[in-house]
Amino acid sequence: MRGAFERTKIVIELVHLRKEYDNVLAVGDLVLSIPQGEIYGLIGPNGAGKTTTIRMTCGLLAPTLGRALIAGVDVAQEPERAEQYIGYLSDFFAVYEDLKVWEYLDYFAHAYKMTEAEIPARVTEVITQVNLEVKRNEMIRGLSRGMKQRLGIARAIIHRPKVLLLDEPASGLDPKARLELRNLLLVLRDQGATILISSHILTELEGFCTSIGIMERGRMVRSGRIDEVTAAENPARFVRLSWAGDSLAAVQQHLQREARISQAKLTAGGGAFLFSGSEEDLAPILAALIAGGVKVMSFGEVKQTVEELYMKLSTHEVM
Amino acid sequence: MPGELMKFWSNPEFIRHRRAELRPVRAITVGVVVLVICVLVGLSCWSSQEQILDTFRRGAEHWGTQAWVQRLAHEEQQFAQRTWLMLYKWLVGLQGAALTFWTLFSCAQSVSGERDRKTWDFQRVTRLTPAEILIGKLMGEPVLVYFAVLCAAPVTLLAGLAGGLSFGTVISVYLFLALTSLFLGLGGMWLSTLLESRTRGVGLIGALALYLVTALMFQMRMSGLPGLAAFSPLTGIIAVLEPTDQYTSLGTLHPLRPVLFGHEVSWLLMCFLLCGSFSAWLALMLVRNLKRDYQEIRPLSRWQAVGCAAFLNFLIYALLRPGLDSATLSGALSDGPPSWFTDGEAVATFAVAMNGLILFLMGLATLTPHERLNVWRRKRASGEAAAFEDDGLSWPWLGISAIVAYALLVWGLLAWDHTLPLEVGTLKTAAVRLLVVLVFVTRDVLFLQWCMLTRLRQPVVKGVLYLGLYYAAAVVLIVLATVWSPNAGQWMTALLTPVQSFDRHVQGLAFPMETYIGLVVQMVAISAVLVAIDGRLQRPMRLASAG
Repeated sequence: MRGAFERTKIVIELVHLRKEYDNVLAVGDLVLSIPQGEIYGLIGPNGAGKTTTIRMTCGLLAPTLGRALIAGVDVAQEPERAEQYIGYLSDFFAVYEDLKVWEYLDYFAHAYKMTEAEIPARVTEVITQVNLEVKRNEMIRGLSRGMKQRLGIARAIIHRPKVLLLDEPASGLDPKARLELRNLLLVLRDQGATILISSHILTELEGFCTSIGIMERGRMVRSGRIDEVTAAENPARFVRLSWAGDSLAAVQQHLQREARISQAKLTAGGGAFLFSGSEEDLAPILAALIAGGVKVMSFGEVKQTVEELYMKLSTHEVM
Repeated sequence: MPGELMKFWSNPEFIRHRRAELRPVRAITVGVVVLVICVLVGLSCWSSQEQILDTFRRGAEHWGTQAWVQRLAHEEQQFAQRTWLMLYKWLVGLQGAALTFWTLFSCAQSVSGERDRKTWDFQRVTRLTPAEILIGKLMGEPVLVYFAVLCAAPVTLLAGLAGGLSFGTVISVYLFLALTSLFLGLGGMWLSTLLESRTRGVGLIGALALYLVTALMFQMRMSGLPGLAAFSPLTGIIAVLEPTDQYTSLGTLHPLRPVLFGHEVSWLLMCFLLCGSFSAWLALMLVRNLKRDYQEIRPLSRWQAVGCAAFLNFLIYALLRPGLDSATLSGALSDGPPSWFTDGEAVATFAVAMNGLILFLMGLATLTPHERLNVWRRKRASGEAAAFEDDGLSWPWLGISAIVAYALLVWGLLAWDHTLPLEVGTLKTAAVRLLVVLVFVTRDVLFLQWCMLTRLRQPVVKGVLYLGLYYAAAVVLIVLATVWSPNAGQWMTALLTPVQSFDRHVQGLAFPMETYIGLVVQMVAISAVLVAIDGRLQRPMRLASAG
């Protein structure tokens, strides 16, 4: 029963997904399960297979082998049923220039087969969400690039999709628009949406994704929740500390007593070391330093950024 | 799908086009322009008729005879009706040209245009079914011209009725135009799905070629398959309006009408049958492929392709107009146009030759993408797939199509035996000819399949060009060999082309030796292409290069 319950929580499921182009393996036997509410960042260099994976997941591309399931629905077998759960956004924000803003969203609301009764209110709601209220009755050809991009986002979410598949959505966006997109995605996540986002701009995903998958040459190098992936790659915690006054000798003495500390590099006023214990185990060390008269200015674990993690993994340290 | 077609006004894709194309200001402008054109055409018709009347008035004044006066009175009495009829013909002609041309060209840019604007993917991920997209585009892309025709329709109807035509005739002409534009629109849309955005220009040239071919089908009225003229919009306008359209032979008049199983039928019925059935095939191909990625487009499944080949074969026997040999006395005295089909042998030869084209088109429609062929080969190696799989090579299906075509040939010739006498050896001769054609077509189709496994850009187009080059070179070699010795020319023809097997002097299975040797040579060529295909498929898979 519990297994069945957990299974219903998986919203995006890729089962041995494979794509070949002629004699080139673009994506090889990809297995991935993303639970509801996750923001999963698919990272990797250009040509790693991120776009192909996303296009197969949303049904734009038929896999050579394997299956993509969205909310349990096979995208290839029942495309029209699966599409009701999917909102898709790519790196280009092409829109129908000869329509008005509301007409564009009304068209997609009908195309996603929303009921007639809910469409007008939903169109208004989404227009408000992307801050295009004043442009509601304007022709799209008169909108700025940024506004067209926001309209593209509105299109992707008009039918309240359970899953958002975003392929490099922020490329070409100015910093303000990126921030707005990020905030909007967080709101959608809070509303229960599951987001699969691909990017090669790693800072874009920092502090935003809950899970990551690193792809290289069509294969998934590492996948999981960010903490788990980081922990798996770094069994020891990287701790940085600094102190006031001339306490170098005292600090060295304290640290040498602790067997779980290694590679301590200390200079006058500060340093760093690796600690193989848990977060809670660090507290007594800090307490001992303070009790030993060291005027500790800062003490804490330095978390690895997504960028650092990616750089480490992509240099094939784990392959 | 017919149900969805009837509800097209609530189709989101149609509504999108209607909103974009028919904004109030534009709609009013179009309506006004159409009415102004109607008035201008009306005035020029009136002026033209007035000039004719003036001639009669001058004649009556000058000669003053009773005959001239009576003629003038008759012309004056007919003046209004003739003016209206002339206006009607002009309006129908203009609407026919605008409707068919605009429908074809706007539909020919529908999908490729969306690919060009990069909006196609967003439409493909909606919940619209391929049938809904198809209907939305078919009714929506040319919505402006539909509206223009709708504006002109009341004036046209009035002009037609005032011009002395029956209500049924006026409606028939409209129905004819609607059916041919539906067919052309679907043809244009299919062309559009085959084009990537960067080849839109080629698509427009293709659409123009399709339009010209369809228009020129009008001339098929004089052929052995007169019904094919029903594809042409000109037939709708001229043949329906001019029921006295006749063929003159030895002073007798013979109305030109299409035949179905030897019975004359109306042009409207023939148009309904032909445009309807061909539109259905096009719709099937579109529904199968509209939501697929460009690389994954495959017009028909294997069985559908066999069905399509059978349907085209069936049409030959259903539409042919039997006739007498004009070389004979009875033929020379007959009142019909010269016929292509004077006996069973002529029908069999025509059917086999047409099957060369039909099988080649079927082969084109069933080429397998590299990716799918790879999967099929792997499955076949592990015993999971058979030779007759949908993802396999198309040659077994070409064979099945040829067998079906031969069965229909036997049926067709026996059915027409009462009119077109069938000789004993005809069926045997046709069997060998069909086998020769099948072998050559199989070789060519497998060559195209091999091209698809290479790194050629637009492999099918280039493959067809290479085949054209091959046949051009073959003609040169045959001419050179014939100059050297007629016998050498025959050998060269048999070895390089299937043409030699169509020698009219052959009876039964008594083909010259070079025909059979040519068959063996082509079998060897087919084996070589199959080995080359297998070699391509066995190449190891490479990982995508990053960066």
